[in-house]
Amino acid sequence: MKLGIASAALLAAGGGVLALLEPGLREARLTPAGRAVFSGVGRAMLDGSLPAEGSARQAALAGMLERVDALVAGLPAHAQDELSQLLALLASGAGRRTLAGLSGDWATAPIAEIQAALQSMRVSGLSLRQQAYQALHDITGSAYFSDASTWSLLGYPGPMKI
Amino acid sequence: MSNLPDPIREGLKRGWKVLGGPYGEPPARIVCDVAIVGSGAGAGITAELLSRAGLKVVIVEEGPLRSSTDFNQQEAVAYPSLYQESAARKTADKAINILQGRCVGGSTTVNWTSSFRTPVSTLDYWQKHFGLAGFDNDTLAPYFAQAEARLNIGPWLTPPNENNDLLRRGAARLGIGAAAIARNVKGCWNLGSCGMGCPTNAKQSMLVTTIPAALDKGAMLLVETRADQFELANGKAASLLCSASKAGPVQAGRAQGATKIVAKHFVLSAGAINSPAVLLRSQAPDPHGRLGTRTFLHPVVMSAAVMEQKVEGWQGAPQTIYSDHFLETQAVDGPIGYKLEAPPLHPVIFASTVAGFGQPQAELLKKFPHTHVLLALLRDGFHPQAPGGAVKLRGDGSPLLDYPLTDFVMEGARRALLSMMEIQFAAGAQQVLPVHELATPYTAWSQARQAVEALPMKPLLTKVVSAHVMGGCGLAGDEKLGVTRPDGVHWQIENLSVHDGSLFPTSIGANPQLSVYGITNRLAQGLAKRLGAGDVILA
Repeated sequence: MKLGIASAALLAAGGGVLALLEPGLREARLTPAGRAVFSGVGRAMLDGSLPAEGSARQAALAGMLERVDALVAGLPAHAQDELSQLLALLASGAGRRTLAGLSGDWATAPIAEIQAALQSMRVSGLSLRQQAYQALHDITGSAYFSDASTWSLLGYPGPMKI
Repeated sequence: MSNLPDPIREGLKRGWKVLGGPYGEPPARIVCDVAIVGSGAGAGITAELLSRAGLKVVIVEEGPLRSSTDFNQQEAVAYPSLYQESAARKTADKAINILQGRCVGGSTTVNWTSSFRTPVSTLDYWQKHFGLAGFDNDTLAPYFAQAEARLNIGPWLTPPNENNDLLRRGAARLGIGAAAIARNVKGCWNLGSCGMGCPTNAKQSMLVTTIPAALDKGAMLLVETRADQFELANGKAASLLCSASKAGPVQAGRAQGATKIVAKHFVLSAGAINSPAVLLRSQAPDPHGRLGTRTFLHPVVMSAAVMEQKVEGWQGAPQTIYSDHFLETQAVDGPIGYKLEAPPLHPVIFASTVAGFGQPQAELLKKFPHTHVLLALLRDGFHPQAPGGAVKLRGDGSPLLDYPLTDFVMEGARRALLSMMEIQFAAGAQQVLPVHELATPYTAWSQARQAVEALPMKPLLTKVVSAHVMGGCGLAGDEKLGVTRPDGVHWQIENLSVHDGSLFPTSIGANPQLSVYGITNRLAQGLAKRLGAGDVILA
């Protein structure tokens, strides 16, 4: 509950706070702040789907980030603006702690901690945290599994040649 | 990429009048008999009929012109290029994801071909509650029959894929009626890629039927061109202002029009959500507060099952079996009913729909080839507690649908999840997982039933999607009850008609494409007569 009120207060501060933060998107691409959030979220969300080996894992995450950029480019302006604000908040220390409930930063937090944070957003009583979780969930899954390199995991052979 | 003959590229070579986007800037002023906004189901039918009646028609489409050569069956290509908001359009509270087309052919280019006439129970309700005396089954039958003939709508004789056959078998074991779905296809290859645009031109969408027919008769098509607003004066629309759709957001109440279209009559066929939005941006008269209200979605909930055998729900025609048992066994205006169908499954939709993350999600994703999914379309709009949503404008002029999911609707969602799970277990499911953030895989019907009876059926916890947007410019026999008259003309704007799914005063209670075809076929024939053109029929 305390978390909920803190998130609400932070978000109510709105433009004032946001104006001081690095946006999550710039010219319809992830900024370093946005990339940091999606790298951390990707590590946790796709745990069990990403390759186990270090360099292959890094390459898979890099591919996912590229595809997040492609996905973002297709969104209308209002959706890009919202996503940019969400990522800006999540990339900031205060936003990460209150909105996601994550104490460590996205780059270094252990997977289990990020997953606990995601789970708390997923079942939160505060719709804003649920909405944020779902945006991260849907974008991460859509971007990762939109590339043929990931389809063997799904046992999906790709479309029939015609 | 398909190497099959492409009727669109051939038409362009023949000299079709297409402008906008890569085809060159439209002129600053266009004069015609009828300007049609949109190129989907209602627009296509109207464009063909009016062009054949000898009228000079201009079609304005916000999305791009893509055709079979471009349709490579890849979700990553199809969603950003063919769907509204990259297939991620959301309601105001983000609890419902909406699939709607945004390309030449509109949603008909990307739909799953399911074809049903408007159910009689729906028409009866419209007659009784909205004063639509002429909307009876017998009067409409010939218009549906013409649309069926024109679009090759008929029984699908190929056996259903396993995903659909599981619905048939599970329902049969429970004594629940299920039947085959008619489809609008000609020479279908049974690929299962309908949602990414048909690469073989088998689907008889507007893209390959009525729009080419209109262009062959001399109609003009503006693509990647957005209808910003009408200029209204003295109860009439004087012109339509349009601009390049890539040129940024629409500014409410401000004319952006790089192109002004002057027409005797205007037809708004931009689809529910977008048609009301054009009228809202135009500050159209709305003396009874009806515009944009009663927008319906057939809110959809889903249940996934893992079978011992392979299902491979990506292949084979999608949605070929349905059950109306839970629509027909209760009153239309009682507790909300639902239609059951089996959707196509592809990686992006699947990965973004499967709830959860990490190892548990990875385990579910690995079972993709064995996964069977059912969906339930909830029939909204027939009860005071299922009043639909309202279309509003954002500050940038883009539309936003506020659709509160009421407890009444969500209790229907619970019953729907229970019905689907029971059918899936009856069909032999090893485990069943309703798509809900608090659900876990269940291995027996008794366990599943107990769990789902206790789940909080709340928005954002229960996954809800929609592919059927209806209403917002509702037909009514009394101006206090709707936006449009029974002949499709706007109650307050005498030379503006609405011909699309936004006309429907309730949801349809079935996949709506044939309802749009049949009803706009009738309205467009009437319009042709009123404009003094020749008699035409669709087929």
